[in-house]
Amino acid sequence: MSPHRAYNRLLSLLRGSDPQSDREMKADAALLLDAARQRGRGAVAATWLALIWDLISGTAQDLSRANRSLLRAPGFALTVSLLLGLGVAATTTLFALVDAVLLAPLPYQDADRLVAVWESNVPQNRLREGPSPGNLTDWAANNDAFEAITGFWRAQATLRGRDGSAPVTGIQVTSGFFDVFRQSPILGRTFAPDEYPGRLSITSGRTGGGEPALVLSHRLWQTLGGDPAIVGGTLQAEGRTWRVLGVMPATFAVPDTNAAFWTPWDPRAAYRDGPPREARFLSVVGRVKPELSIAAAADRMKTLAARIAADHPNTNADWTVDLVPLRDELVRSSRTELLLVFGAVFGLLMLVCANVASLSIARRTARARDTAIQLALGAGRRRIIREHFAETALCAALTALVAILFTTLSLGVAVAFAPADIPRLHEVDINSRVVLFAIALAMIATTIGVLLPGVRGGSAAITPALKDGAPLSGQRAGRVRRALVVAEIAVTVVLLVGAGLLARSFASLQRVDPGFNVQNLLVLRIAPDVTRYRGQQVIEYYNRVLDSIREVPGVAAAAAVTVLPMSTIGSDFYRPYWLDGAKPAGNVMPQANVRMASPGYFATLGLRLVAGREFALQDTVQSPRVIVINESLAQAAWPGQDPLGRELILDYQGGATSRQIVGVVRDARYKGPRSEPSPEIFIPHAQNPYLVMNVVVRTTMEPAALAQTARTQALKIDPDQPVHSITTMERLLDDTLQEDRFAMLFVALFAAAGLITAASGVYALLAYTVGQRRREIAVRMAIGASSSSVARLIVMESMMLAAVGCVAGALGIAAVSRLARSVLFGIAPTDPLTLMATAIVLLAVVLAASWLPARKAARINPVAAMRI
Amino acid sequence: MTDQPRSVDRRLPLKPKVLHILLSLADGPRHGYSIMQEVASRSGGQVRIWPAGLYGALRELEDQDLIVESGKRPVDDDERRRYFGLTPLGKRVLNAEVSRLEAIVDLARASRALRKA
Repeated sequence: MSPHRAYNRLLSLLRGSDPQSDREMKADAALLLDAARQRGRGAVAATWLALIWDLISGTAQDLSRANRSLLRAPGFALTVSLLLGLGVAATTTLFALVDAVLLAPLPYQDADRLVAVWESNVPQNRLREGPSPGNLTDWAANNDAFEAITGFWRAQATLRGRDGSAPVTGIQVTSGFFDVFRQSPILGRTFAPDEYPGRLSITSGRTGGGEPALVLSHRLWQTLGGDPAIVGGTLQAEGRTWRVLGVMPATFAVPDTNAAFWTPWDPRAAYRDGPPREARFLSVVGRVKPELSIAAAADRMKTLAARIAADHPNTNADWTVDLVPLRDELVRSSRTELLLVFGAVFGLLMLVCANVASLSIARRTARARDTAIQLALGAGRRRIIREHFAETALCAALTALVAILFTTLSLGVAVAFAPADIPRLHEVDINSRVVLFAIALAMIATTIGVLLPGVRGGSAAITPALKDGAPLSGQRAGRVRRALVVAEIAVTVVLLVGAGLLARSFASLQRVDPGFNVQNLLVLRIAPDVTRYRGQQVIEYYNRVLDSIREVPGVAAAAAVTVLPMSTIGSDFYRPYWLDGAKPAGNVMPQANVRMASPGYFATLGLRLVAGREFALQDTVQSPRVIVINESLAQAAWPGQDPLGRELILDYQGGATSRQIVGVVRDARYKGPRSEPSPEIFIPHAQNPYLVMNVVVRTTMEPAALAQTARTQALKIDPDQPVHSITTMERLLDDTLQEDRFAMLFVALFAAAGLITAASGVYALLAYTVGQRRREIAVRMAIGASSSSVARLIVMESMMLAAVGCVAGALGIAAVSRLARSVLFGIAPTDPLTLMATAIVLLAVVLAASWLPARKAARINPVAAMRI
Repeated sequence: MTDQPRSVDRRLPLKPKVLHILLSLADGPRHGYSIMQEVASRSGGQVRIWPAGLYGALRELEDQDLIVESGKRPVDDDERRRYFGLTPLGKRVLNAEVSRLEAIVDLARASRALRKA
């Protein structure tokens, strides 16, 4: 809906007394909005807000001129609008996130035809693995399902500039990448078909197929100064000079916003023996032919996969292909979390609605006499009802206004604080859908909170209400308010249990033994120039750097490794291995993660050796090839036997070589407490020189204090080699828990808000009840009831509410527990301690909320109360 | 009866919004949108009046007899719109308000502190 029509709707809702004025107002608003459109989106938004505000305040003035009921008590409308507005704002914020992340189409042309392609092997239970370069090459040449298909993978590169260097993520893409996504650059051009063949990977250290070229992301371009003249210029990265061909728009984030640049990659040229079929690591996206449905395309691809499997049974038997719409693929991981949070926010809004409804009922009963007098004096019921509608409309408009304002604020905050890996978060924006959602929700919320609870006011019978001392609150209104408070307590119970479970789950995550000592470890990353250091020069360089760092007082040990535990930097190398003898036939090929480590790595990390020895300086290229394996691999390969001294053949770097096992090391959780240890093989760095390494330093003092000194010591050896990503192991471990922490804090926040809402609901209900039952209590006291027994009466009522609310909440927990199980770690959704603690906290809060009303009831003076 | 000077004085001071509306009508009848534009352009964008506020005020001014729907319509007439003009009372109230403001400005000018500045 355009702002024009939204304005017209709002106008007909609020006004209607003067059709001529209304017509002119509509015309004027249209003219003002058109004029604002000339000045840009900001002006339209400002004008739109000014118009809504004008409409509301103008209507309020009209009503006050007509001496209508509302402005006799503006506090009610303001309180209600603020309460509901905040609730609607929270829900709208989440809607905007859900809308951008889950619902909005991807920002590519005909995006519904883009699919992610996966390989799956059901018998081996290896599902959704990234296709291998060999299979992709076959698909690209032989498929009849796609207009274009492309594969890509990320590599870490070090960008060198005049003022230092920075690690960035480069995306290496196979031919057809820009045909699949159909996105034009905002500057320059993308790669021509003849610019793909022969291109090697960024980190290979070699050049192939002409001058290295890349296309920049909008973000990296901005970081580099945002100069359009960069196109045609060059950048220094990974020891080579790259030609900048173009710049992509800010919306282009493939595979995510971390992508700094894209560069062509040719799988045929990258591998000496041709693209491998068993190394499954690529991300593959295809553009389905326009005449095919996705299901039909999937059928064709499965047929092709079966043909390839028949031709290459060793690597492809049982492997088939899955097609997943790209949008579903992108949001898969965040869907549950987002929907959970959305549900929590919506629950909170319902709590607020319940409280407001309770407020409305109290107000209605308090005004029942006024209404009866109006009716007795001849006011039409119709007029009273119309006033009530006008009042609701005003509340709805104010609520919508408050909601839109707060959504604008909170979206900025949410985008800044949400976990970094929620995809598409950068696309979040206040668009017309979000504004409409806020307005619709404001209407629903005010209908629940104001319109329905008050609507009986018009049908109130006249005479009983006018009788002096008649009970003002109907039995029915009291029952409804009680039910509302019970609902509030039930929702709060669910939120409290959720918060408690997440907190306990977080605590058990923190207690998980990662397998090594995370304290007092400093880590830094060194990315030497590939053209400067080769082969044994790399080993010499790192030996000197490590010696230099070891000189620092406070450093106990230092070592280097390709991939650090807990770190997201560096990539896994899963390679097939087998036990002595020939490569086994068949396709079941166990794999292990391969890492290169310097002497003393395990001692430095505090990763205990279970058997054998660790690498020493004597392990060189000339000495026999040795490896250290972890317990998982030992268990898998030689269950119940001693693996020391045995040989293992590793297919790595183009050749299968036999290596002797000299040590077995404890399992470590390499990717954070949630990850399970997997088989690992460590190779002495000296026997397989690797350029980019992580240095890990064991300190005897606070590791962060040594960060600069360690960096300086490394730069002493060669000031030109960049040292970056300096941090501590504790920080890295902490980062892996970021999402869990966010979820825990978020739900805790909602639980606290729910607790406050429920407490205030209980308080308001009891305070009102005590006021209503003054006379009855006075009579009880007059005939001998003690103060404490009266107080007990009130407290018992609140305890009843709490008990019923807890039972209802327990049912709610049972309903969501299946969803919660996937988020929790090391704890069941029915954890008795959490449930008990929740019940105790809730009862304590309800008790506290009933304290004041109970005291008030106990202090009623029977004589004074009965005189009135 | 409404022509009594007392009844003019009783309406002063005018609310700023009302003063701006009356001023915009001083040169002749205008319709609502044109009043909004005129007020905005005369005040250099400092004062903006929005539709609901404007038509509420116009009805009030009509009720108070300060303006009246005008039969005079310009050549580029928009037939869906009403044109409003000042009544004789409206003119007198506007003049009285301007004189009152002038007196205040004179008073301010006479004050030594302001003269120095």
